[in-house]
Amino acid sequence: MKNIRPFHVLVGVLLVVVLLLTGCKTRHRFVKKTAFKDTDKIEIVFAGPVDETWAKDVGGYSVYEKPDPDILLKISNVALSPDKTTVTLTFEEPLNRDQPHILTTTEIMSEGKSLGAAVLTVKKLYFGYVLSILIGAMLINNFVFTKYLGLCVFFGTSQKKTTAVGMGVTFTLVIVFACMLSWFLYQYVLKPFNLFFLEIIVFIGLVSLSVQAVDTILRKINPALFKAFGVYLVLVIANCVILAVPLILADNEYNALESFMLALGAGLGFLIALFLMSCVREKLELANVPPTFKGMPIAFVVAGLFALAFLGFSGMSIY
Amino acid sequence: MKNIVHITVALVISCLVAGVVMGLTFTVTAKAKKHNEHQNVKDTMIALLGYGKANPAPSDLQLHPVYRYIIADGQTQYLGYMVPVRKGAEEAYDLVVLSLQGKFVEEQGLAISPEAAIEPPDREKALRAVLKPPKTFVYADQMVVAKLGDKRLAYLLPGEFPGFKTFISVMLALDPSFRILGLEIMESEEDPGLGGEIKQEYFKHQFTDKKLEKVRKLKVVKEPLPDEYKKYLETRKWKKGMFSKEQIENIRQKYEDSDIYAITGATISSRSVTNGVKGVVKKFAYRANRLDKVIASQHIPVAF
Amino acid sequence: MAATTKTNTQLLIDGILTENPIFRLALSMCPAVGISTTVMNGLLLGIAVLFVQVASSCTISIIKNHIHPRIRIPTYTLTIAMWVTVIDLVLGAYFPVAYKAMGIFVKLIVAFAIITMRLEVFACKNAVSKSFWDGVGMGLGFLFAMVTLGFVRELLGMGTLLGHDILGFRPLLYFALPAAGFIVVGLMMGFFNYADIVYNRMKKG
Repeated sequence: MKNIRPFHVLVGVLLVVVLLLTGCKTRHRFVKKTAFKDTDKIEIVFAGPVDETWAKDVGGYSVYEKPDPDILLKISNVALSPDKTTVTLTFEEPLNRDQPHILTTTEIMSEGKSLGAAVLTVKKLYFGYVLSILIGAMLINNFVFTKYLGLCVFFGTSQKKTTAVGMGVTFTLVIVFACMLSWFLYQYVLKPFNLFFLEIIVFIGLVSLSVQAVDTILRKINPALFKAFGVYLVLVIANCVILAVPLILADNEYNALESFMLALGAGLGFLIALFLMSCVREKLELANVPPTFKGMPIAFVVAGLFALAFLGFSGMSIY
Repeated sequence: MKNIVHITVALVISCLVAGVVMGLTFTVTAKAKKHNEHQNVKDTMIALLGYGKANPAPSDLQLHPVYRYIIADGQTQYLGYMVPVRKGAEEAYDLVVLSLQGKFVEEQGLAISPEAAIEPPDREKALRAVLKPPKTFVYADQMVVAKLGDKRLAYLLPGEFPGFKTFISVMLALDPSFRILGLEIMESEEDPGLGGEIKQEYFKHQFTDKKLEKVRKLKVVKEPLPDEYKKYLETRKWKKGMFSKEQIENIRQKYEDSDIYAITGATISSRSVTNGVKGVVKKFAYRANRLDKVIASQHIPVAF
Repeated sequence: MAATTKTNTQLLIDGILTENPIFRLALSMCPAVGISTTVMNGLLLGIAVLFVQVASSCTISIIKNHIHPRIRIPTYTLTIAMWVTVIDLVLGAYFPVAYKAMGIFVKLIVAFAIITMRLEVFACKNAVSKSFWDGVGMGLGFLFAMVTLGFVRELLGMGTLLGHDILGFRPLLYFALPAAGFIVVGLMMGFFNYADIVYNRMKKG
């Protein structure tokens, strides 16, 4: 599997970039970070100690939710940590943490010197949001068991563990590739020209293109891998999921990173579903199933039980 | 070589034909789609006000939409309200700009008719003619003021907030004292039988008659709905003689100050709707008072 | 590449019973599981599929002699996508409430294997009239399957039919949940299998 290494490196680099980009950036050199705490607090960490008189003055802070700049939230209490670097603002009512909040302060006084006023943004970590899209697509909104897409291919290739894994991996590769292309076309061609009714045709065209591209690339780069997985490539086109994911990311207007995470989650979720199903079906082959139910019907009933189990994930909010 | 040319030409022709067919269908259906959407919204609003087939709306009932925008000029932000004003016998729109603290800044006339103002792109064109760069503006929300004769009947507020699965879109009706007259769920994609029950009367009607003070502190209670309350809420299942006028008044007063009873198996959806409604009403009450003060002090000839 | 010798009515019945796309051929099961929660949903999606199937079959049958063999699949996909977009726009404009209930599935008709397969196996080899009836048969088979599933699930799950309260209470709410779609489809498939076995046994003896 030596050729997988460049892919691993790419994923690793992406994760690092994401972490760096989404670190809690604030816009004042003296403020190290801002974060939500509990359901009704905001915490500000400074790079050094601040004057107690300035810090404890409630009037020195004003906070509002970004889309509602005219409604200032009422602060009930200000607490300063013993080392004077952390200020905790407690609000009268629970905060709506899904919205970014804008926090404005008067001039920060530290050791008698004024360090200028600050306008800071407080919001949940972007990394967490992106991760929740990934886990959401993988488990909570699993495309096979919760969204009932891709079933034909699912039942067709889940009979043996080897075919299942093969199909899953091929599918993940194609869907990530197709999704990035679809996102690009959607943002730069379909949206500006208001051609939404061409969505279906464009996306399915891109899928065929991606399948063809992955086919050619795999043939050249790794013939052994192609021999193992090539046969599943054709089946990918008949998969509802491959069309559903671009439609979803167009609907929700995700940006590039979020689309990538959605596609990756969908692919991995499909792989997990296939693998689980194939484990059970291999055992079913040896079981004593009545002739009316042999084959498809019993596979459906088993899938139904899996779907019931996956219902347990619903409502989970990672972040 | 001839083969490839043949194939390419065939593909291009097919794409063009397909494109033309789809384009045609699109232009034909787009108008019908918009019309149906607006009709649906209007029908919901009239139903919320208590009128319907059995009790048709009187002819002097008017619906005046007011649109709110957030205008940014460099670092400062302002609130811009597009209000319908009466200029002689005609109705037009004016842009009233307020500071974030609620003080009047300026008023400008807009070149847009009430019919065109329903469409966002037309509104943006009219606003851009008045708010030249570097000013930018972003749509915030809208409210519809219902007037009967020359008295304000109700405020109708469309709202959208995240639910259990995706967004829940609602329409709220408030009376002039900001007491809830009714709630209607416009769009939701919750599970049928569970979260989907928010569309049922026994949940929606719990919000009716809640006063502003109660709504500010509204919570969700995980208890079963009392039988008599459930029967009272399901107005569509009322039979003749089931409740006397006294009984209705008694039940209404008894549960006026109660919290919202959650739907069995759908606590998250119930909480989303309750918190969403709470947010919409609180923010609206805060802003409506400020706007009215400015309109009164500046003597703006609003149509409502 | 031989044209079929079946009569039109035979094509129709085949599509509904012996070659029913969902229960016998086990194709295009995604909507069967996901949307058949109510009869109305099943009906609407069935009608949409019927329209796309008939339109595509007829279109391909008309131009079958001009399709270059190397671009067969893209042509099928293009035709299906075109008709799906048309029905998608029409449903969205004139039946907005029902359209929202079906969510993404109308757009996904493009990916249904059943329609592509029908075009490949039948429409490109047969005359327009035969393709029309085959398309109608398959579409009706799909519609029948969806409505039956919707009937069972709505009645047992919510106690209503087409929105009207029949039972007045909810026997097994589980059936209305999408997860039960798998199990109901599995049971109905088993039932069809059983019917087939009994029918064969009767034919022999």
